[in-house]
Amino acid sequence: MSVQLAAFLLSLVIASPVLGQQYDYILKGGHVIDAANKIDGVMDVAVSGDKIARVADGIPADQAKRNIDVSGYYVTPGLIDLHAHVFGFPGALWPDDTQLTTGTTTVVDCGGSGWRTFDEFKETVIDRTRTRVFSFINIVGKGMVGSEAENDTSDMEPEKTAAKMAEYPDLIVGIKTAHYARKGYTALERAVEAGRLSDKPVIIDMRILTGYDRTMERIFEIMRPGDLRTHSYSDHQVEILNRVTRKVQPFTREARKRGLLFDVGHGNGSFVFPVAADAMKDDFPPDTISTDLHRGSIFTTKADMPNVISKFMHFGMTLSNAIEKSTVRPAKVINKFPELGTLGEGRVADIAVFKIRKGVFGFADAPQRRLMANKKLEAILTIRAGKLVFDQNGLAFPEWETAGDYRRIPTP
Amino acid sequence: MLSSKKFLLILFLALTLPLAAQDTDAADTTIYDLLLKNGHVIDLQNNRNGRLDIAIIGEKIHAIGENLPASRAKKVVDLSEYYVTPGLIDIHAHFDQKGAWLNLNPDHNTLRYGVTTAVDAGSSGAKGFEKFKEETIDKARVRLLAFLNIVGAGMYGKGVENDVAQMDVDAAVAMVKKHPNDIVGIKTAHYQPTDWEAVDRAVKAAEMSNSVLMVDFHPKEGRGYEDLILKHMKPGNIHTHFYGRLTPQLDENKKVQDYMWKARERGILFDVGHGSGSFWFRIAVPAIKQGFLPDTISTDIHKNSIMLPRAHLNNVMSKFLNIGLSFEQVIERVTVNPAKAIRRADLGRLDEGGIADIAVLKIEEGEFAFLDSGHGKLTADKNIRCMMTIRKGGIIWDAEGISMPDWSTAGPYSNFR
Repeated sequence: MSVQLAAFLLSLVIASPVLGQQYDYILKGGHVIDAANKIDGVMDVAVSGDKIARVADGIPADQAKRNIDVSGYYVTPGLIDLHAHVFGFPGALWPDDTQLTTGTTTVVDCGGSGWRTFDEFKETVIDRTRTRVFSFINIVGKGMVGSEAENDTSDMEPEKTAAKMAEYPDLIVGIKTAHYARKGYTALERAVEAGRLSDKPVIIDMRILTGYDRTMERIFEIMRPGDLRTHSYSDHQVEILNRVTRKVQPFTREARKRGLLFDVGHGNGSFVFPVAADAMKDDFPPDTISTDLHRGSIFTTKADMPNVISKFMHFGMTLSNAIEKSTVRPAKVINKFPELGTLGEGRVADIAVFKIRKGVFGFADAPQRRLMANKKLEAILTIRAGKLVFDQNGLAFPEWETAGDYRRIPTP
Repeated sequence: MLSSKKFLLILFLALTLPLAAQDTDAADTTIYDLLLKNGHVIDLQNNRNGRLDIAIIGEKIHAIGENLPASRAKKVVDLSEYYVTPGLIDIHAHFDQKGAWLNLNPDHNTLRYGVTTAVDAGSSGAKGFEKFKEETIDKARVRLLAFLNIVGAGMYGKGVENDVAQMDVDAAVAMVKKHPNDIVGIKTAHYQPTDWEAVDRAVKAAEMSNSVLMVDFHPKEGRGYEDLILKHMKPGNIHTHFYGRLTPQLDENKKVQDYMWKARERGILFDVGHGSGSFWFRIAVPAIKQGFLPDTISTDIHKNSIMLPRAHLNNVMSKFLNIGLSFEQVIERVTVNPAKAIRRADLGRLDEGGIADIAVLKIEEGEFAFLDSGHGKLTADKNIRCMMTIRKGGIIWDAEGISMPDWSTAGPYSNFR
């Protein structure tokens, strides 16, 4: 080992023998946004093991084995993406390389598995990812495996779905119904029944098309407070806007008043700039921000969490508000608050660090049109359960030239 | 009677009309699907390095030249701020996504970085290759090729990869010959016993199938690196991970060993294969300062290397640019050189009539940092970013929507679908 590395490691391990280092590391000088604790300003965040140990202004550097300077950046709870695809659906992605690298530490797979396939999902994905993965279980027993299965009402069994949910109450956080292309409301009714049996929310993706004999009003009636509709800003599904007046439909506002929730679910086809712009102008922001990220949308709209947040910021949402809709709000929806979605002391250390870049940036929506904007949110560093998993700018590490003959510089 | 004037006019028209018609026939009225305007084209195989337009029809490049008329194109994209290169080639990747756990999805880990051709480096062997082909290669949008692992079961941990009984030369040769369009050669990797069995069998399989060999080598006592590159490997064979800590390419004074130069002289190729363990600034920087450059730049991209070291191809290219290679030298090592190394003369170049696989790149200026395999950091001022990727003539990646119309002028709602 070289002298330089020895000195570096020494500085990590025994810098302050008097006080002792109660913290493993401190994220120093970042602008912390933690809506749950009403923090929106420069603070230090100290981490011990997998937990947040302390959030305060000016925590002495010598109280930690290591300090990571994040001044100039925003520090937030790890984001929660309520609408991701990491199993079952042919467009499913591996979450670590796509979500942890974009500041997202928790994803909810949105209907990839049904009660027949959940065990496989758990074994092949949930148990193996560094990303925290939950499930909205599909009301279809086989899961999201194509239109034939997804229209087969005989495979939509509320009792069996609820039984699987009871087996994994911590992992399965709700029910999904999607892509039902037959007349009427059967898929929705079965999903809501499973929601009633399990006392968990339903998230719906249900189109209103000619010949489906469905109305939005009726769909909202069947849904319960706490249930979500996703793909809220598309213009080919349930329309939240009146196309002529470009104002939010009265029944949409009524639904929100009743406690129904509106999720983004951006995806490949479900976010259209004029719809989002008009809705934001008419004061109808989303309750939760989510991506519907999959193998298609990762190319066309690039809709990962920072991308979707950047778009809403352009239409007038503040960063603090967007972070709340990506942390506290989704955590509450899946009944994981305050365990997740905050930087409260003693909570698990799932942390994201972002930068707001200024310049000229282009963003794309579903019909592949460009929005030019002057700000862009970019993920810089991600911590999952105390462990550094992504570090775009190498903030946690020393220059190679002065680190000597290192084997592997330890990861905080 | 016609007046003589009228007669002359008719005569004139009769003579000139066919000529005019002929002229119209002769003029090029070809309609381009896509015209890439004014990019700085770097196509080293064809000695192009300057501002040129590229016209695309269907899957193919129709014309490359100066001032191709925009009036003939259905769509024009102004690339005057960017570099335009042949689609990049990553010859060391792990994309048998239904195979070993570490493997990744091929498309978004390539096409978003300008890579239009990737070579899976031995994730599968003769036993698993056809499943890999059916489930992944044939469905991928990126052109996915493969080195076939000499180990029949492929990369499933050290137990299998150390088992000489798994290294059936005839089975490997037969599989290469059966799939000449997909398999470019043979791979040997991770072999721990102290004999030469794995290397020698792989060399033999590559020779018998007339294909390329890629070697990942862990030197052992009595099985040294010098012997590998001077005696066991054949000209045209590739040693990957050559910036790994296990590769003794520098002496104790950080001088490039003589046998490295000798091996290069006899035609051994040196590939980066960054990965999570095989790229160290303290080896790469001194070697490059002495003029020993890699032949090919590649990623060894997998579920670990993509996280902290962020070893996608633009990241690895940026590291070499910041160490001191020129941009042309970097591009050469991800286009021309890998195409030659895998004996695919049709790739890594822009040809009229050729498949339109194109990368549009930008060198961003600012403050950036890059991590090596040991998490040592290089703070640097340049970053290579892929702005657009064209695969088989179609724009498959457009990072900032430069080919798209502005939303505010494109009508109110989309009536999309």
